[in-house]
Amino acid sequence: MRQSIRVAGRDHIGTALGIPDFIISLANLWHRRELLWNMTVRHLRGQYKQSILGYAWALVMPLSQMIIMTFVFSTIIRVQSPGAPFALFLFVGLLPWNFFSTSLSAGTDSVVGASSLVTKVYFPREILPAAAIFTKVVDLLFASLILVALMAYYGHAPTETAVWVPLLFLIQFLFTLGLTLPLAALNLFFHDVRYLVGVALTLWFYVTPIIYPIDIVPEKYQTFFDLNPLSLFINAYRRVLLQDESPDFGKMFLGLAISVATLLIGYYLFKKMEPGFADRI
Amino acid sequence: MPTGSDLIAIDFVNVSKRFTLEEGRTLREFIPALLKGKAWSEPFYALRDVSFRIRKGESVGIVGRNGSGKSTTLKLIAGVMAPSEGEVHVHGRVSPLIELGAGFHPDLTGRENVYLNASILGMSGSAIRAKFDDIVDFAELWEFMDTPVKRYSSGMYMRLGFSVAVHSDPDILLVDEVLAVGDALFSEKCLAKIREFQDRGVTIVIVSHSPETVKNFCGRAILLNHGRLLEAESPESVIQRYRELVHREEATVGALSS
Repeated sequence: MRQSIRVAGRDHIGTALGIPDFIISLANLWHRRELLWNMTVRHLRGQYKQSILGYAWALVMPLSQMIIMTFVFSTIIRVQSPGAPFALFLFVGLLPWNFFSTSLSAGTDSVVGASSLVTKVYFPREILPAAAIFTKVVDLLFASLILVALMAYYGHAPTETAVWVPLLFLIQFLFTLGLTLPLAALNLFFHDVRYLVGVALTLWFYVTPIIYPIDIVPEKYQTFFDLNPLSLFINAYRRVLLQDESPDFGKMFLGLAISVATLLIGYYLFKKMEPGFADRI
Repeated sequence: MPTGSDLIAIDFVNVSKRFTLEEGRTLREFIPALLKGKAWSEPFYALRDVSFRIRKGESVGIVGRNGSGKSTTLKLIAGVMAPSEGEVHVHGRVSPLIELGAGFHPDLTGRENVYLNASILGMSGSAIRAKFDDIVDFAELWEFMDTPVKRYSSGMYMRLGFSVAVHSDPDILLVDEVLAVGDALFSEKCLAKIREFQDRGVTIVIVSHSPETVKNFCGRAILLNHGRLLEAESPESVIQRYRELVHREEATVGALSS
């Protein structure tokens, strides 16, 4: 045992009961919620500082993507969009995708980016990727205004099945955090990771039904798509928001299982690598 | 270990800290090294088999030349680094006065940075709100609380950083050559604050090149040289030995260059 004892008390009881250390640290995060909040505010304040449009930039990206992609995929290439006009269909997939991809990129860089802090004072390092992702939640909430406007424009009011959205988002959030944690840690050891994440995200975008509906995917590839959590999430969002149906519960639980497993493994790996962070900066 | 573990604040047991010098940070360097089965970088020991104990309420100075392992020791106590070998036990909340204001974000105001930095040091929201006035009073920066800290002078920056750190209610205070914060008057105030901590029974670890500081503040001193602990005795004898060490090395350098 070479790990130093930081806070006596509660931790030892947990350890005595045989609860793994990383589960205890996960629970202890609740005590550092103030820090998580302040870090998130720090990111938000810093993000669009000294830009004229300021926070409106959080809307520019998804809006311009939506306009161009709608032109390309519904005017030039006529992709069918079941249940809703293409722009709306696309945007319901694009929003959660953008949240995922921006979270993963920002989260991967979050620990390297805070190197001056990491070498000087100890705090649970997972706060850094978590705060980076929370910042993207705020971006997502802003960008959701466009979704509301689109739904109003097309006269497509959500029905009561929309109450599933927060739960679906929670599952997506867990997956995103779980995947970001080990990448943020690995990025300290190998700076290749950030470039790898960039490449992976570009490819991932195309194998996820964002610009096309899942129905047009040939039968023999469906299983592969069901193992892609992003595909599960986006299909579920479309079902509850556009087709006004409850989620496919089998697939929702599959998504939940993948997310929880990803988070546990990801957090475990992160905590495993954490003691070496300051050495690598 | 029931033998007064309540009384020990910091316990180093055979601690070594190894660093790898030329770090291969890309896979292009890592994978060939792995395939050839050789270590992909040379190890370097910043600390080698160091053991010492610091009791609660004690003030200890760490003395040594540049590169002797002083800063590594502080980082191990702060929990920023983990030892490569041996064990480090730290009981209580540590507040590092190492490079003050490390957590400041230049675009945020003084007020926002107080909240951010205090929460990094482990203070709860209610504790920060309760201490906020004291923090600003001590830093003497009331008129600048809504100014982004990038407009601060370096003295103001340090004052705010120091003030947040000392108000975080630490059990163990780590001080690294920051006693000269701002002007002479403020410097006095900092020293007075450290004395106040001593009276309250806070454990203090000071890294300093100044024999005066160590003599004035510390009941005991630790001498490090090339990562090894040479002596852990009274400040006077440690400083004496430190001076001899410096003289001897200067003589060697002088002999080589002549």
